[in-house]
Amino acid sequence: MTWIWIVLAPLLGGLIYGGERVLRARMQRRQGPPLLQPFYDMFKLLDKRTLILHAPHALLAVAHFFVLWFTVAAIFLGWNLIYIIFLHLFAQILLILAGYSVRSVYSHLGANRELLMVVAYEPVLILVAVGFYLISGSFEITTILQGDGYWHQLPLLFVALLIIVPIKVKKSPFDIGEAHQEIVGGIEIEYSGVFYEFLYMSRFLEYLFIYSFVFLFGGESYWLGAVLVAGVFLLVNLVDNATARVHAADMVKIVYGFAMSFAIINILGVLL
Amino acid sequence: MLTLILLPIIASVFTLLLPFKRVHYFITASVLVTLTLVAFSFYSSTEIVTFHLSHSMSFLIVAADVILLLYFLYQGIKFRSANVIFLSAVQLLLYGYVESIAPTGGPAEIVVDNLSKFMFLIINGVGGIIVLYSVRYMRDEPVSATKKSLFIAGLLLFLSIMNLIVCANSILLFFLLFEMTTLASYLLISFRNDTLSRANGLKALWMNQIGGVVILLGALVAIEGYGTVMFDTLLKSSGGMVLFTVALLAMSALVKGAALPFEGWLLGAMVAPTPVSAMLHSATMVKIAPYLILKLAPVLGATLLGSLLSVTGALVFVAASYLALSRFVFKEILGYSTVALLGLMMALAAIGTKESMTLAMVLMLFHALSKALLFLAAGVLEKQYHVKNIEEMKGLVHRAPKTVGFILFGFISLTLPPFGLFMGKLLAITSISSLLRERPALLIVVLSLVIGSALLVLLYFKVSSALLSAPSDILPTQKEHLPYGFSIPLILLAFYSIATAAGFIIIQGDLFIAWLALPLLLVILLPSMVQKMERYDRIQPYHCGEKELFDAALVYYEPSIRVRQIIYGGFGMLFVAVAFIGVLS
Amino acid sequence: MKFFTPFRKKSPWILHYNAGSCNGCDIEILAALGPKFDLERFGVINTGNPKQSDIFLVTGPVTYRSRERLVELYTQIPEPKVVVAVGSCTTTGGVFRGMYNVEDGIDRYIPVDVYIPGCASSPQLIIDALVKAGEILESKSKAIEKPFKLFGAIETIGNKLSRLNMAKKVHDDED
Repeated sequence: MTWIWIVLAPLLGGLIYGGERVLRARMQRRQGPPLLQPFYDMFKLLDKRTLILHAPHALLAVAHFFVLWFTVAAIFLGWNLIYIIFLHLFAQILLILAGYSVRSVYSHLGANRELLMVVAYEPVLILVAVGFYLISGSFEITTILQGDGYWHQLPLLFVALLIIVPIKVKKSPFDIGEAHQEIVGGIEIEYSGVFYEFLYMSRFLEYLFIYSFVFLFGGESYWLGAVLVAGVFLLVNLVDNATARVHAADMVKIVYGFAMSFAIINILGVLL
Repeated sequence: MLTLILLPIIASVFTLLLPFKRVHYFITASVLVTLTLVAFSFYSSTEIVTFHLSHSMSFLIVAADVILLLYFLYQGIKFRSANVIFLSAVQLLLYGYVESIAPTGGPAEIVVDNLSKFMFLIINGVGGIIVLYSVRYMRDEPVSATKKSLFIAGLLLFLSIMNLIVCANSILLFFLLFEMTTLASYLLISFRNDTLSRANGLKALWMNQIGGVVILLGALVAIEGYGTVMFDTLLKSSGGMVLFTVALLAMSALVKGAALPFEGWLLGAMVAPTPVSAMLHSATMVKIAPYLILKLAPVLGATLLGSLLSVTGALVFVAASYLALSRFVFKEILGYSTVALLGLMMALAAIGTKESMTLAMVLMLFHALSKALLFLAAGVLEKQYHVKNIEEMKGLVHRAPKTVGFILFGFISLTLPPFGLFMGKLLAITSISSLLRERPALLIVVLSLVIGSALLVLLYFKVSSALLSAPSDILPTQKEHLPYGFSIPLILLAFYSIATAAGFIIIQGDLFIAWLALPLLLVILLPSMVQKMERYDRIQPYHCGEKELFDAALVYYEPSIRVRQIIYGGFGMLFVAVAFIGVLS
Repeated sequence: MKFFTPFRKKSPWILHYNAGSCNGCDIEILAALGPKFDLERFGVINTGNPKQSDIFLVTGPVTYRSRERLVELYTQIPEPKVVVAVGSCTTTGGVFRGMYNVEDGIDRYIPVDVYIPGCASSPQLIIDALVKAGEILESKSKAIEKPFKLFGAIETIGNKLSRLNMAKKVHDDED
């Protein structure tokens, strides 16, 4: 059963992404695209002529996608949370290397920002994992999902996670990584056709990755987890529609200033 | 044991006697092979070897010490450095006093325990390779042939000093060898003999002499309190004074490990020829710092001092990674990241649980391999392409694909699974988290570990951004000619990294970890697909419709002067606090 | 492949380029993308990046300064691609026709598939044109489409088939 979910993970992520596009459209009083729009986009991209800059650049995107898939698979299989975070870092680094491997200004800018994003959210994610560890006594997701009470005991950690969710799903105010008209998609810019498709799908997987962290806060009650995910999903889109993009350096300051201190206060509260 | 110490000395005599030619390759290569084999056989044996020094040897040590300190004093007077003169004088007086009250006899002065055997592996395996490399490196150095031979001989001698220092059991013997490593860094930093090298050499000298002074103070306290100068007797005894001695010795480790605020000497040391930077200031000599803390760790345990040391080390890790982001000279960046990782090793060692100590050792080994590789590759860039700072490295992958490949491999081995450094950090987070409930102070260590690692990732990949930016591959890539003298040491180090990483995973017995390596396999498989990519059209990068190519600038994060002052002031206070806590407990 | 072809018109991503327009048509394009007309209903995304676009929306009469970028952007859009000329200026030069610094429409430089009249053309017309463009997109093959003219020096290239190589062929054809 788990394996089927793993194989279907990009499709699941695609559905979430499609739903999000509809949701955002409705928030702006638009009709919005069909729910299956991401899949139409994917099929269309398969049917385009593919232009590349050089082979390593294109292949690193493929590697990025597969490592990310592997990460998501690890989540479904209930592995060690720390391993998962570092696997994700690995995937991210492949993408960043890809961004740097071409002589393109926007790609470099995007990769720089991607690195800044890693610096911003990575510590918070690990602190969240440490928080889970302190309550449940294990880093294994299977064990974490058997416990409960994370919601009461780690409220500030949850807020910290909330702050970094927009970074990971590239939503305002922290959508500095792709920054539509500002750096034209950043790392994605030099990809086209099949190879862009891999990046497009890895975005779906990013959704699964970050929202599964939110889900973990539900503990053994999957319903609570689902409600939390839905709530965060709504909130993130609401904030996305209502805020402007912050400066890249300010993002790091905000995350380190607020998210980190929330996380630390929460962990200290658990410890003492 | 004698082979490890005598062989390098004999080899250095040979290098001096013979003219600087191909024969040097032969000598250094055979030294490398023998030393590595001996170190391995030592490591696989379980017995603990001890040696007593004869009376005449003890006398020789005293004489050597006095001569060394007098030489420092002379250098201080010659170059009018008040710091050096003052510290040498203080050391001379202290040493005289300590030696006059030092007890004779007691347990063996030289003890080869498991930790020493492990250090042998690092020193001989990595150090030997660096010596081999330096032969080719020196060929292009614009100095006389005698000086070239002298340089190689110096490095070889240094190997035997290092081999001895890691099995010294007497604090006084340790002091002598510590000062000899100081001498070695002083001489080798000022090897090029220009104003800058001279100034940086003197800086390294006086900063390291602070370490010498605190060791002597530690010896003094040990003699006053317990009537012994031996590490093992001291560590077995109990009472408040032990911690004070340990605190003083740990302070010397902080100095030698170039923990902030003493990182200046290590950064200055980067003006030395690259093999020196690789050998002394990254792979072997500075490893004395975590080694010393590891030796003292059984006493540190759950004490306040232990916590303070680990917090200091962890903060050094973050601060040094942060400061490195403002640098643009490649070797300085590597230097800062060495400072950072040494801080991390000391932090892990000072926690004092068995697990964290093992992790500190793992980090030491893998750091030595990766950093040596990076420094040697930096040396190649310097000699073959005359590139020293990262601004000049733009698009280097096009001109020097092999060297850049090695550098990238170095970076990856420092950050990604399945390599040891990554594994070390990962297991460290797991193991420290399990201690958090008993020792909440370690939260700072976890936090620093996490933030510091993220900053280091930023640092390394910022540098690779300069290396990598290649134009569209419609032009054929150039073939890079890398001389064997350069490529063989690099390949050896890369091979060691991979082999030890595999070994580490196997030793862990946790095949689960091997899964983490799976993505890397994927990445390795990718190049085989490059051929298939021929069928896709090539295109120029998007520049808003312009045809000219642009370059993105590198990003630097410069801390303001105020932040800098806070950092240095804070670390200065932490350094003093170590002594203070030592006195209190 | 046959199976994927119907999806071309379901997700036409646009690249919008202003070749010296007075901004009138650009504002109408933005209006068409905005909440009231909501082009995203048809799966349209304004990508801002030629490499991921299908439809090239050009406004303006093509000034001397903009023509090189026009052609460069056109060559960077992967096939199948459709060019839509938005507004009178883009189709014929409009009120600027015959001026010394204006090129009287984009079809001197690149093949145009859909012309939209109007000064400025209304959002309804633009939506109509995009639907039409979707149909044309569906009927096109993946063969390389060339611009009519090229500018600037042509770089020497290796033996790989490249877009620039294609450009060189065009250049040779002209001679």
